[in-house]
Amino acid sequence: MELRICHMYPDVLNLYGDRGDILCMSQRLKWRGLGVEVTRLPIGQTARLASYDLVFIGGGQDFEQQVLLEDLHRGKDREIRAAVEDGMPFLAICGGYQMLGNYYETYDGQRCDFIGAIDIYTVGSKKRMIGNYKFQCSPEAGGSLVVGFENHSGKTRLGSSVRPLGKVLSGYGNNGEDGTEGAHYKNVFGTYSHGPLLPKNPAFCDHLLLTALTRKYGAAELEPLDDTAELFAHDEMAAKL
Amino acid sequence: MSLKAILAILLCKALRLVSRLLHRGGTAMPGRFALKLCPNLLALLAKDVKSVAITGTNGKTTSARMVEEAFAGQGLNYFANRSGANLISGITTEFVMNCTLTGKMRKDYAVIECDEAAARMVFGQLKPQVILVTNLFRDQLDRYGEVTHTLENILEAVKGAPEALLCLNADCSLTASLADRLPNRVVYFGIDGSAVPARLKPEISDATHCIRCKTEYEYDYITYGHLGGFRCPKCGYRRHKADYAVTDIVQQRPDGSSVVMDIKGKKELADVNLPAMYNIYNAAGAVAAVSEMGLGVQAAIAALGRFKCGFGRMEPFDLGQGGATMMLVKNPAGCNQVIEFLQNIPGRFNLVVCLNDRSADGTDVSWIWDADFEGLAALSSRLENVVVSGDRAGDMRVRIKYAGIPDGRIAMERDYEKLVDWMARQEKPIYIMPTYTAMLELRQEVIKRCGGQDFWE
Repeated sequence: MELRICHMYPDVLNLYGDRGDILCMSQRLKWRGLGVEVTRLPIGQTARLASYDLVFIGGGQDFEQQVLLEDLHRGKDREIRAAVEDGMPFLAICGGYQMLGNYYETYDGQRCDFIGAIDIYTVGSKKRMIGNYKFQCSPEAGGSLVVGFENHSGKTRLGSSVRPLGKVLSGYGNNGEDGTEGAHYKNVFGTYSHGPLLPKNPAFCDHLLLTALTRKYGAAELEPLDDTAELFAHDEMAAKL
Repeated sequence: MSLKAILAILLCKALRLVSRLLHRGGTAMPGRFALKLCPNLLALLAKDVKSVAITGTNGKTTSARMVEEAFAGQGLNYFANRSGANLISGITTEFVMNCTLTGKMRKDYAVIECDEAAARMVFGQLKPQVILVTNLFRDQLDRYGEVTHTLENILEAVKGAPEALLCLNADCSLTASLADRLPNRVVYFGIDGSAVPARLKPEISDATHCIRCKTEYEYDYITYGHLGGFRCPKCGYRRHKADYAVTDIVQQRPDGSSVVMDIKGKKELADVNLPAMYNIYNAAGAVAAVSEMGLGVQAAIAALGRFKCGFGRMEPFDLGQGGATMMLVKNPAGCNQVIEFLQNIPGRFNLVVCLNDRSADGTDVSWIWDADFEGLAALSSRLENVVVSGDRAGDMRVRIKYAGIPDGRIAMERDYEKLVDWMARQEKPIYIMPTYTAMLELRQEVIKRCGGQDFWE
C-alpha cells in the first residue's frame, strides 16, 4: 500500500514548522513498510489533484497571501472544491484552513474571497490568539486528545453543514468564544493547530492516514508503532494545559 | 541636567548597586525605573557619545564583540552593553553606569546591541553615528510576528536617526530594502558569488517573494537561508553591489575562517576568529561599521582575528577530554548554520540539544521542524551520543526521532548538574545547541565546573 501526498504551496505556506506534518506522515508510513510519495505543488504549477490520495496545506504569512489567492483563482479553487466533494482527505492548518472557507473579513471590514470548499468564514480581530492549547476531537474525527500551538487573529465560524473538528479544552480554538476547534467536512480536517500538529499527536496522524488508505484501498489497517517519545511529549504538554 | 534626570541617574545607580550586592545581574531593571522618572534620560546621556548601534535577527552579539575589539585595539575610551541586555531599559542602565552622578559621560564611544523590536524606542534617543543591520530572519513568531513586521519596526526605528550611516546586508533582500525607504546614507556588506559554491534554490527561505512587487526572486547564488545574489525578474529589485565584499573564502576551520575581502576596490586578507558562514557575514558587517566610524580598515580586520565572543556563541569550555563548545541557536536560519558547521568538523562527537520555550526563547517551539535536523541524522555514524534537555526536551526528542535517529539512541537529561557531570566524563568533543534561556542556565552550571565569566561581565 502506498499514499501519494500532495503538499500544496510548500514555497509560501511554510511557516511555523508545518512541514513537520509532512515528515510525520511520511515516517509513520515508512516505519510500517508502506509506500509514500510527496509531491510539492508550489505557486504557478498545476497538477491533477484527483491523482493524489491526501492533500496537505500549511499556514503562512500574510505577505504572500495575495499571490496565493491569484494562483488559486486561476483554476485550483475549482479543482479543490471538486476534490473535497469527492471525499479527498485534506489536512489544512491555520491560514490553509481559513483559505478553504468562503471568505476572510479584515478587522476594518474589507472582505477577501476565499475558495468556498467548506462552509466556514473568518473575521479578523484585534487580539491575537497565541499559545499552547488542547482539544478533544469528535468521535467521527477519531476522538483523540490533541495538543498544539495556535497563533491567529482570525475568528472562524462554521456553517451548518460543517462539524467542528473538536472541542477546546484549553486555549482559544476557532474563535475563543463558542468552544469549537477546527472543522470536519467529509474527509477535510481543518485546524488552527501548529506545533506542528501531527508529530505530538500520533493517534490523530494515524486516523488521517487510515482515512486516506481506506478511501484508496477500501479497507486498511495500521500496525501499531512504538510511540513512547511522541506520547511523552504529548502527555507532558497535555498535563500542563 | 534637570533635577529629574539627576534623580533618575541616582536611582538607577542605587538599584544597580543593590542588585549586584544581591548577586543579580541588574542589567535591565535599574534603567526601567530610571526611564519612568525621566523618559528621555537615554537621549540626555547619549548626546555626547559617538555610538555604533547593531540590530537585526541573528549575529548582533557577535558583531558587537568584533566592533568592540576594534575600538579596544585603537585605545578608544568606550563602553558596550555586553550582557545581552539589549532593550531600552538595559541600554539606559549601561549609559548610567558610565556617567557621573551629575550625568556627565565618562566615555566617548559606545557599542550598542539593540533588540530589533526595541530599536524603535532606542534609536531616536541614541542617535548613533552608524547603524549596522545584520540580517532579517523569521524569529520567535509569537513575539516578533512575521518577518516583514520586524522590517517595519527597524524602518520606523531608523527614522528616529536620519543622520546615522546605515550598514546593510546586501545579500538579505529584506534588510537591503530599507535603503530606498530612508533618507540615510548607506553602505553595503555581503558575500560575493565568487566566494561560495553555486546553489540556486534556497533550502528553506524566509523571503521567497519580492518585497516590492511580490514576484518570486531568482538567484545567481545562495549563501544560506534567503541570503545571496537575489533579483526580481519583474520589477528589477536586486542585490546591490557590496562596498565591503567577501570575494573568497580561502579556508574554513573548526575554529575560524580565512577570507579575502574587497573593500572599496582594495583586497584585504582577513582571519575570522569564529567558524561558520554566518560569522563571515558578522565579520563583514563589523568591518563596515568600524571603517565607517572612521577607524580604518586595518583596525577592523586586525580585530577579527583577535576578538573573543563567549557567552554561548561558539564558546569553548574545558569540559570532558575533548572539550565542549556551546553554540546558541534560536531560529531555523541560525540553527541550520550550526548544523552545517557540525557537518564540516571531522571525527566523532557528542551532541546535546537544550530546548526551552520561555518568553526569551519564544513560546512556540515549532521552528525546530523548519531546521534541518535531517542534516544531523545524516551524520549518525559520527554521533557518539545524542542528549536532549530543557523544558521542551520531549519535543526535541520527537524532532530528532523523525529526522531519522532511532529513539533508542536519544537520551534525555533535564538536570543540568547531572548533565554537566556526564559531559565531564566524555572522551569525545561535546557540541551543545541550547536556546537562549537554556544557554544561560546550562552555562552557569558549566562555569561552576570549569570556570568562566558571569553573564554580566
